[in-house]
Order: sequence, then structure tokens, then C-alpha cells
Amino acid sequence: MIEILINAALLIILPLLFIGLINRVKSLWGGRQGPSIMQPVRDFLKLMKKGEVISTTSSFIFKIAPSITFASIILAGLIVPMAGGRSILSFNADFIFFAYILATGKFFAIIGAMDTGSSFEGMGASREAVFSSLVEPAFFIVIASIGILGNVSTFEGLMRLSGGSGELKMLILMLGAGTLFIMLLVEGCRVPVDDPNTHLELTMIHEVMVLDNSGPDMGIIMYASAMKMIIISSIIANMVIPESMAFGLSLASYLAVLLVLAVIIGTIEAIVARLRMSHVPQFLFYMTAISVIILSIIVLTVSGGMK
Amino acid sequence: MEYFIYGIGLIIGGGFFSLMLPEKAKGYAVSLFTGLGAACILSPSINVLLGQSIPSLAVEISYPIGTTNISIDHLSAFFLIIISVMSFIGTIYTIGYMKVYNGKGRTVTSHFFFLSVLIASMPLVVVVQNALAFLIVWEIMSLSSFFLLSFENEKEEVYNAGINYLIAMHIGVLFIITGFVLLSIKSESLDFNSFKDVLNADKWQTNIIFLLLFIGFGTKAGFIPLHTWLPKAYPAAPSHISGLMSGVMINTAIYGILRIITLIKLPSIEIAYFVLIISLISGILGVAYAIAQSDIKKLLAYSSVENIGVIGIGIGVGLLGMAYHKPSLTVLGFSGGMLHILNQSLFKSLLFYSTGVVYLQTHILHMEKLGGLIRPMLFTGICFLVGSLAISGLPPFNGFVSEFLIYWGMLTGLKSGYVLLSVMIVLSFSGLAFIGAMALLCFTKVFSIVFLGSPRSDLHEKPIDVHWTMKAAMGFQILLIFAIGFLPQYIFIGISKAAHGLFGEISPEIFTSYFNTLCDVSRGLAVFMGIFILLFLGRYLLLRKRRVYRYKTWDCGYQAGNTRMQYTGASYVEPFMTLIRPIFKTKIRENKPIGLFPSRSTYESQTDDKFEHAVIHPIIKRIEKFLNAFTWIQSGSTQQYILYGLIFLILITLWIMVV
Repeated sequence: MIEILINAALLIILPLLFIGLINRVKSLWGGRQGPSIMQPVRDFLKLMKKGEVISTTSSFIFKIAPSITFASIILAGLIVPMAGGRSILSFNADFIFFAYILATGKFFAIIGAMDTGSSFEGMGASREAVFSSLVEPAFFIVIASIGILGNVSTFEGLMRLSGGSGELKMLILMLGAGTLFIMLLVEGCRVPVDDPNTHLELTMIHEVMVLDNSGPDMGIIMYASAMKMIIISSIIANMVIPESMAFGLSLASYLAVLLVLAVIIGTIEAIVARLRMSHVPQFLFYMTAISVIILSIIVLTVSGGMK
Repeated sequence: MEYFIYGIGLIIGGGFFSLMLPEKAKGYAVSLFTGLGAACILSPSINVLLGQSIPSLAVEISYPIGTTNISIDHLSAFFLIIISVMSFIGTIYTIGYMKVYNGKGRTVTSHFFFLSVLIASMPLVVVVQNALAFLIVWEIMSLSSFFLLSFENEKEEVYNAGINYLIAMHIGVLFIITGFVLLSIKSESLDFNSFKDVLNADKWQTNIIFLLLFIGFGTKAGFIPLHTWLPKAYPAAPSHISGLMSGVMINTAIYGILRIITLIKLPSIEIAYFVLIISLISGILGVAYAIAQSDIKKLLAYSSVENIGVIGIGIGVGLLGMAYHKPSLTVLGFSGGMLHILNQSLFKSLLFYSTGVVYLQTHILHMEKLGGLIRPMLFTGICFLVGSLAISGLPPFNGFVSEFLIYWGMLTGLKSGYVLLSVMIVLSFSGLAFIGAMALLCFTKVFSIVFLGSPRSDLHEKPIDVHWTMKAAMGFQILLIFAIGFLPQYIFIGISKAAHGLFGEISPEIFTSYFNTLCDVSRGLAVFMGIFILLFLGRYLLLRKRRVYRYKTWDCGYQAGNTRMQYTGASYVEPFMTLIRPIFKTKIRENKPIGLFPSRSTYESQTDDKFEHAVIHPIIKRIEKFLNAFTWIQSGSTQQYILYGLIFLILITLWIMVV
């Protein structure tokens, strides 16, 4: 029970701090003083205090879309295993529910953007839909491949590989973490796929989709996208952290992994340029490629070709 | 069983009765009689699913059909429920849709008559147990739908689509006949039950017969590469007919495939892989073609191919379970597939019906000319949105439940110990995810281009929501979609009973565990809705006392924006089409703006169906070439025809003399 409470608290507190941390790392690399880690929290609170401007073109879709998207991400956060490998809600095949509820959120984010009739937002929405159609299959291959070795019934169980030797487990989980890291960059709209800093350039994906949102809606969109990063980071953390640990230790290592991920993302953002839009799909195909490698390794293991 | 016969009688009777009524009243009469008939058909069907004994009746029909068994087993009962409910909803919608055609000298009379014939023939298809009788009702169904489809036959594309449909159906039926003939020669009977022995005798014999029947039924269902009639027929047909055909009629083809599977006790591994792979191809390519379309109904036709693919994936997973003796695969695969049949008939016809409303109001099906329709047509817009969400398989709507069952079934087969099976499952697992993600792209495209943004062209009249009958029909479907989406556990009880013939009785413990998981899913959805309502309420409370004002969409300070600058459907899917260009040939004709003062520039893109050009056309050309060798027979000169008569008479005289 206490574990669940801690996880719920983490789900609420961590997202904005995570973004703050990434920005801080970025500013350190740039040799700047940079904003404090709490800056995203302040931004969020500021937005929550404002009124809104709503486009005359838009319909009710535009008003409900941010709330639905955020609700779907919160639900995904309840299902995903966090510190100690424990999730708040857990049932059979819940990771399918997880992936699909996120897709519901995405659907509404897209039609919310299209509702304004803006061609900028149309462009962002179009890219969002196309890139997620490339990410989804790879994510499912990773999950199913790991499922051959692991306990496939729940998301919690999925992270515990039962078959295979130690090194092999290590290899598979590292590759899996790599794939999910790419997913983290895509879904979290980070460099090299997307750049969260510039709002109005034709190269943007997520940022350009929310061009017309303002006030509390903008606030929850910001919070939601940060929470999505925490969710995917949690999957990565659970892949990396060894399973048999006391909850306290496991919690500490969970937080450490998140810290490392934030530093890596910040570093990448500071030293790498964003990819040309036509090269993004190629970057995403890395995910598919690695996931197929994972599948082949597992198949070889199961069929006895690799011990 | 008597009720079933009365039901059919009522539906047909409604058709004859409508002949005598004035045009305005025809729709109401057909709908009323279909409603009564549907109720009569529903009562025995529901009783069977509730556990009563299977009613059957032996009808004596003269030579060559002989004794025909009519029985409502679990599988038939399931299909009867779908057919009767969906047909009734369809006829209610038809009242409103056909109103425009009244008093314009159209063939409304025959249209309503054939509608009754179609609706009466579909329940018969799923209950007759005799091969020849089956073919006869099958043919009645195909022909009546042909007449319904070519309602506006003065338009050339409608006429061509009708003929195309008729030919495709008869090529399909040729394969079914061949399969049945092989079976009845071996078993020396026309009764389905006597086919069992033949189908369990020799593996390769069974495989070949299954393949023949699968091609036959698959033509009707629309598996790739047999789907080419769909994208022509649905846009040509009136919307209520497209809805009935895609939502109800093609289910009978799936029934045919499932019926054969119930007769084969132990399907071979080859059959299972074949069905699964063909379905994956249909699913992936179907939705990819759908993405490329700009005609709404054509898009829905291709997405129908995709949904047949998803149903097929479920059936394929179920077959794998049978072939490898994995009961969990069988139960979840078949349940998911069968539930998807029900779901697809709900959301696909809902989408066709709301498209029909759009067409009635704007007379446009080309989505690049539409836009912003959700404001004048709120109800239709919501219907289309619900349909789009459901067809993309998103929670909390019904499409998710069936896909969830299929995914879950696949997961239980992962640790089978058979390498081939595991790999196939992982690939179809991610294939299904790919289909889902592409469906999201496809339906965000059509919904946002047609209903959101601003209108892209001037319409003659202001579009409004329409006749109450159409709203009632669509509203009822939305209710069913929500009910299945939010309470999947109860529908699973029904589905597991309906699939009784496919996997027998499930043990109570396993059933309870499945039931409980679905309860968890339903609880998760309740939490989701709860969070959403809280958030939205919070937003409302926050903004209640603040300044919320409306201003035009942010356009970077550009002051002369117009509605044609919005993103179009083609531009929305352009990144995707670029990605799949190596596989799909998209013809692009463009006239780029050049120079400082560019003159008029144009852009046109067209994605052709590769299968039609690469598979179907060459075959037809070969056949045509062969048949051309005989054109001299029909020369057109009367003398020659008289000569034929003479030769015929001489031959017959000779024959009589010899005998």
C-alpha cells in the first residue's frame, strides 16, 4: 500500500522536475546560468492562473481534447510499473490497454490540433500521426519478444525475465532499453526528433500542434507531455534495475536511473542538432531494427541455438 | 423454429406489401415489417444462446435439393442476432435517406422490394444446412444486393460498379460451387453435417477444399487480393445500401468460413498460417490504401478490407490454437474475431450512415471539398467521431475490446515452445499494432478534414442535421457501441456461447479468469472517464470567472488567410505516402510555381490499387484473349445464325437416330 502511495506521489511530482532537470543540464553544457529546476513548475502554475483565447474556427473538440489527452496519460501512468517495479493498477494484458489508452489521447491531441484549421497545426498533427505509426509496431515487437522469455500476464511481470542466462537477459534488456529510449525521444518531443524550444517553425511536431492552446489547457498539455516522459522512463528504469531488491534500494535506483536519463537527454540536446525532417523516419527505423534483433536473439535462445 | 419462419415471412411480406403503397409510406412499411420480422428471428436466436436446445426443421424440397435441414445452432444464432438488429436499424435509416428520391420518377418501388428480399435472404443463408439450398439463397442475396447497389444506374460509374460487383460475386460463387461439388461427390450427400467425414479424412484434400471455399467466401468478404469490387461498389451504392452491405452482408461470408471451420474438426497448421498471413496482408494493405483515398466512401471501403483482415487475424489465431492444441489461443482468438464481426457491423455502418447524411446535405463525397461540418451538423459529426474512434480500436469504444481479446490471445501463445508459432505471433502482434496506428492516421484524416476546420468550398445550401429516423438509427448504434465498449465482460459471455461450435465448452475457472480481466478493463475505462470528467470540470471551474475570448486561429500575423490554406487530406498523409512510395505507386502530376510571378500551379495525386493492375487485370486479359478466339461465332449476319439452327437440327436428328 505504502509503495503504491509513493508511486502515486512520484507520478505527480516527478514530471515537471524531470523537464527542469533536462533544461538545467542543457544550460550547464551551454555555459549559461540557466533557469532553476523549479522553472517548469512555475510556468505551469502561471498558466493555470490565466484565461484562454479560443479560435473562432474551433468546435467543442478543441475544448475537450487536452483534458482527454491528459486523462489518458494519467491512466497510462497508473498502469506503468514505477519504483520497485510496482504499478498502481495492474491486470492481465494491461500493457495493451496502456498502449491503446495512450493512442486515444493521441487521437484527441491530433483532432484538437486539426480543429483550428491552421496549416501549421495540421502539419504537426500529420507528422505526429505518421511517426507514431512507425513507433507503435516496434514497441509491440519489443514487448512481445520479451514476453517469450518473461511472464507475459501483466506489465509488472513483463519486466521480470524468467528464461535465459544472466548475460543474455542483460543483452536483451539493454537493447530493449535502447529501443525505448528512442521512443522516449519521439514521444517526449526531444532532440533529435523534435525541438521543444522553438514554437513556430515548420520543422516542429508536438510544439506546433498546440500553437492555439493557451491558459489552463496549455498548462495541462505541458504537464501531460512531461508525464509521458516519466512513464516511458519508468519502463526503461524497470528494465535496467535488477529485480530482487528491497523497496527502498529499488526506489533509490529508480530515481538514479531517471536522473541519468535526464542528464543524457539534456546532453544530447546540448550537443546534437535536430535531424532533418526527412531523416526522422530513418531514425525511427532504428527502433524497428533493434526490436527485430531482440526478437531474433530470443528466438535463437528458445530454439537452443544460443546458450 | 416456427418464429423464425414467421419472421422471414413477415420481412418478405413487408416487401410485397410495400409494392401497393404510395412512395412516401413504403419506407415505413418495410421498416415496420422488418422490425416485426427481426423480433421473431431474435427470440429463437437469443434462446439458443441462453442455453436452450438447438431448434431444427427438415424441409422437403423437390429434386435435386432433397431434404433440407434448417437449424439455428450457436453460430447461426450469433449471426442471426447481428443480421436482424442491424437490418432493422438499416431500414429505419433508409426511411430518411430515400425521402429525397420520392416523387422524382425513380424506381423506388423495386428498391424497397429488393431491400426486403436482401434482408430476408441473409438470415436464410446462415441457417440452411444444405449445400444446394445454401447456394440458392446465397445467389438471391447477391442478386438482390446487385439491384439495390445499382439504384442510380443512369450514372455510368454506378452501372459499371454494379456489373463489376455482379461478375466478382459470380466468380466467387464458382469457387464455392466447386468446393461444395467436391464435398458432395465424396460424401454423396448435400447436407453440411455429412461433409464432416470427408473433411476429416485426408489432410491435403481438406486443405484444397478449404482453399477453394476460402477464395469463394473471401471474394464476398473482401480479402486482398479479392477485394477489388469493394472500392467500386460502395461509393456507387446509396449510403444505406453501402452500410447494409459492409455492415451486414459481408458477415455472411465470414459465416461461411466459420461454418467450414466448425465442420473441420482438426484444421491443419497450413490452413491456420494461410488464414493468418492473408488476413495480416489484408489488414495492413487495406488500411494503407484507405489512407491514400480522398473519396470518403472509397476510404471506408478500403477500411472495410482492413476490418475483414482484423477479423481474419482473430480467426487465424483461433485456428493456430486448434492446430497446436492451445485452448487459450483458440478461445481468445475466435472470441476476438467474432466480437470484431459484431463491432465492425456496428461502427462501419454507422460511418456509412453518417457519410450518407453528409452526402445528402452537400452532394459531395470528395473530402478535399468539405470541411467544418461539425458546426452545422453536430449530431452527424459526433456519430462519425464515435465511429472513427471505434474503428481505430481505441478505448473506451467497442473496437478496442475485440482487438484486446485478439492481442491477449496471441500473448498466451507466446511461450508455446514452437519457434515458428512464437515468431508468427510476435509478427502478427506488431502487425496488428501497425494496423491500429495506421487506422488512427486514416480516421484522424477523414474526420478532421470533413468535420473540422472551415468549409473548403461554397455549398449551395446550408447543411443541417436531417430526418429523425436517420438520427434515431445512428443514435441506437452509438448506444450499442458504448455498451460493448464499457461492459465488455457481459458481451464476452454471449460471444463465448456463440463460438461454442468452434471451441466447445470452456472450463468455468478459465472463463471466470477471462471474465474478471474484462471486468478490470471495464474498471480501467471507468477510471479513465472519471479522470476526464474531473479534469474537464476543473477546467470549467478555473475558467468560469476568467476572460475567455474568441479570436481567429493564429496565423503568424498573416492577415489574408483563407480557407483554402488549410491542411488538406492529401497534405496530411503526404509524409506517410512518401514513406511507402517504394511499395505503392502514387502517380503525381504537378505544375510547380516557378519564377518571381508564378502563374497558376496545380497538384494532383492518384494512388492506384496495385492488385487490380498487377493481379486481376492480367488474368482478365488472358481470359479475354482466349474468348476472343470464338468471336467469329457471333458474326452478326442473319444467314449464319440460320445456318447454326440448321446444324443444330441435323445434329439432334442424328443423335435421335443413333439412340
